[in-house]
Amino acid sequence: MDHPPEFVPTIRLTHLTEETKRRIFEASLRVLAEVGASVQHTEGVRLLQEAGCSVGADGLVRVPREAVERARSSAPSSFTLHDRDGFPAMELGGHNVFFGTGSDLMWQHDLETGEHRPSRLDDIARVARVCEALPHMDFVMSGAYPTELDPRGVYAVTFLTMMRNCSKPLVIVAENEVDLGAIIGMATDLRGGVESLRERPYFLAYVEPVSPLSHPAECIAKLLLCADAGVPVAYVPAPLLGATSPVSTAGHVVQGMAECLLGLVLHQRRAPGAPFMFGVNQGVLDMVSGQPSYTAVEGFMNYLTVVEMAKWLDLPNWGISGCTDSQAMDAQLGLEAGELTLLSMLLGSNLNHDVGFMGFGLTGSLEEVVITDEFVALNKKLLGGIPVDDVDLAVDVIATVGPKGHYLSHPHTRTYLRKGPSQWRPSLLNRDNHDRWVEAGGLDLREKARRKALAILAAEPADDLDPDLLTACEARVAELTATSEVGSA
Amino acid sequence: MSNNEALIEEIVGAVIEGEAEPVTAGVTRALEAGIDAETILNDGLTAAMAAVGEMLNRGEVFIPDVLWSAEAMQAGLALLLPHLSDAASHSAGTVVVGTVLGDVHDIGKNFVGLMLSGAGFEVIDLGHDVAAEVFVNTIAERGAGFLGMSAMLTTTMPVMAKTLQLLEARGMRSGVRALVGGAPVTQDYADKIGADGWAIDATKAVAVAKELT
Repeated sequence: MDHPPEFVPTIRLTHLTEETKRRIFEASLRVLAEVGASVQHTEGVRLLQEAGCSVGADGLVRVPREAVERARSSAPSSFTLHDRDGFPAMELGGHNVFFGTGSDLMWQHDLETGEHRPSRLDDIARVARVCEALPHMDFVMSGAYPTELDPRGVYAVTFLTMMRNCSKPLVIVAENEVDLGAIIGMATDLRGGVESLRERPYFLAYVEPVSPLSHPAECIAKLLLCADAGVPVAYVPAPLLGATSPVSTAGHVVQGMAECLLGLVLHQRRAPGAPFMFGVNQGVLDMVSGQPSYTAVEGFMNYLTVVEMAKWLDLPNWGISGCTDSQAMDAQLGLEAGELTLLSMLLGSNLNHDVGFMGFGLTGSLEEVVITDEFVALNKKLLGGIPVDDVDLAVDVIATVGPKGHYLSHPHTRTYLRKGPSQWRPSLLNRDNHDRWVEAGGLDLREKARRKALAILAAEPADDLDPDLLTACEARVAELTATSEVGSA
Repeated sequence: MSNNEALIEEIVGAVIEGEAEPVTAGVTRALEAGIDAETILNDGLTAAMAAVGEMLNRGEVFIPDVLWSAEAMQAGLALLLPHLSDAASHSAGTVVVGTVLGDVHDIGKNFVGLMLSGAGFEVIDLGHDVAAEVFVNTIAERGAGFLGMSAMLTTTMPVMAKTLQLLEARGMRSGVRALVGGAPVTQDYADKIGADGWAIDATKAVAVAKELT
């Protein structure tokens, strides 16, 4: 399929000096070298030792500066996800900005009824279909956890559902190396071979170690499996400010970076040059309610710092956009989803997930996905830059029109609108006067977004996966479901 | 589609594109093919402007595109005029437009004038800062059947009422359909001062004026 032109903001946000960035990095190196980390995977520990790390009497792995620097130098500064059909779709790196949904939401803000209800498998198909239709949603992450299913093999079912309903690249989670293996198997079937999948990666796997400084066996197993298969992987801790990380922004980032960079060292030791994504989630513990927040302002501060560090490290980064702590389709949702999305764009954050998240990452809203798509479109215009050449300065045009004239019929106006930068037109935001707005039904943004999502879903699903491929994938899912045990590694 | 229908379609397409030269070429060929001038006007030029108006309403074109279409339409109309009966060539009527005395905001009024012109009205634009007497005298001199007054300030709106009163005093009110508009002007205000029509924007102004013909 056709993908929109790559978006790179020309208007950018930066807030750290070179010296500050170096101090943050040096502090992370000290944590890695002096404090160390718990790595609960024998082969992982062995590989880290090969990479120059030491294991202390306390069992903790300590990572020297040289190991980190070697991993940094072998890790690619960008890699490309390809769509289902094998075409390049997202070059992750630099200041390229992409958007998509998040995973594993237990609840949905129901599009038809507005009720708060448990997520179902069908919701994953709906998220995928809505993202397929929206021009500024670049990838799909499940958007729902199918609560009605037996947990065995659930992520493989999730993957196949996304693949059937969307042609854009996917971002996935897996429970362990067994279901991740089945998912890689399905992607291999799609591509027609292991090497073909390596050349044209179809999905990125998200793996989350446990803060503080703990790397469970299944995380390491998934990380190594991705390295072996050449599947891009984001190794992203989610320290909670003041609970599982220091309460200070800088301390949060220092620890989170140390956790992520240990993953980088291990990953690059296993497969130098394999695609790796850097990131630290921005979570904050609300110190009154005890509720983890996605959009507390302190989280934004963490985020700004982490993304800037990713640019400094020259690694593709994991980002977040289009989400809110609000429990309702309200102004708070608009404010928070908008601010986070705009920050991501200003930062040039690469892979921005969680679009459509409400209520602390527990509830999904397709209206919010649709609204964010529109918000991204208008800000691509804003941040695309402001041209100032002779045509734009328009002195001749001003001279021609002169005092008391008007520009409506001047060729400059028309040419500019038609062939030049044009004027961005909203599909949802209101530009009507009151009478016209009333005449058109008097709908607010929320309702317009709801109707747009419903209209997308009213179309017949494509479901155009090759029947032989589908059969092969279903067999992999069936085998996984029959053999795996809940919670096994 | 017959050859004649294809020729008319070409004219419609050229007007929508807003290119005068293809419009005049199309009109010339249509006349040479023996198509009735009124058919060219109604099914070609006027239908095209109606289509452009709809496209603007749907957000598919911009205001400058409509103005270019209007200019292209006028270029075609100039070729048709010698072939049209008086009734057909002046079917829409003559309209005097202006921004009222004390008010210098005229971009909205300009746009209304251009749109009316595109819809086939003969438009006499008096500019801005226009006194009641000037409106009324011009209507009398030019035999205009329409008056379009614009005000952007609540303080200048009363000039609209004053102009209508002057028309009444001169015994001309029944011969003139008066339209009012501008950001602070409402249908209620139009009713209150006894205007014949009000429109929220330029495209609606054309529709209201046409309803009053």
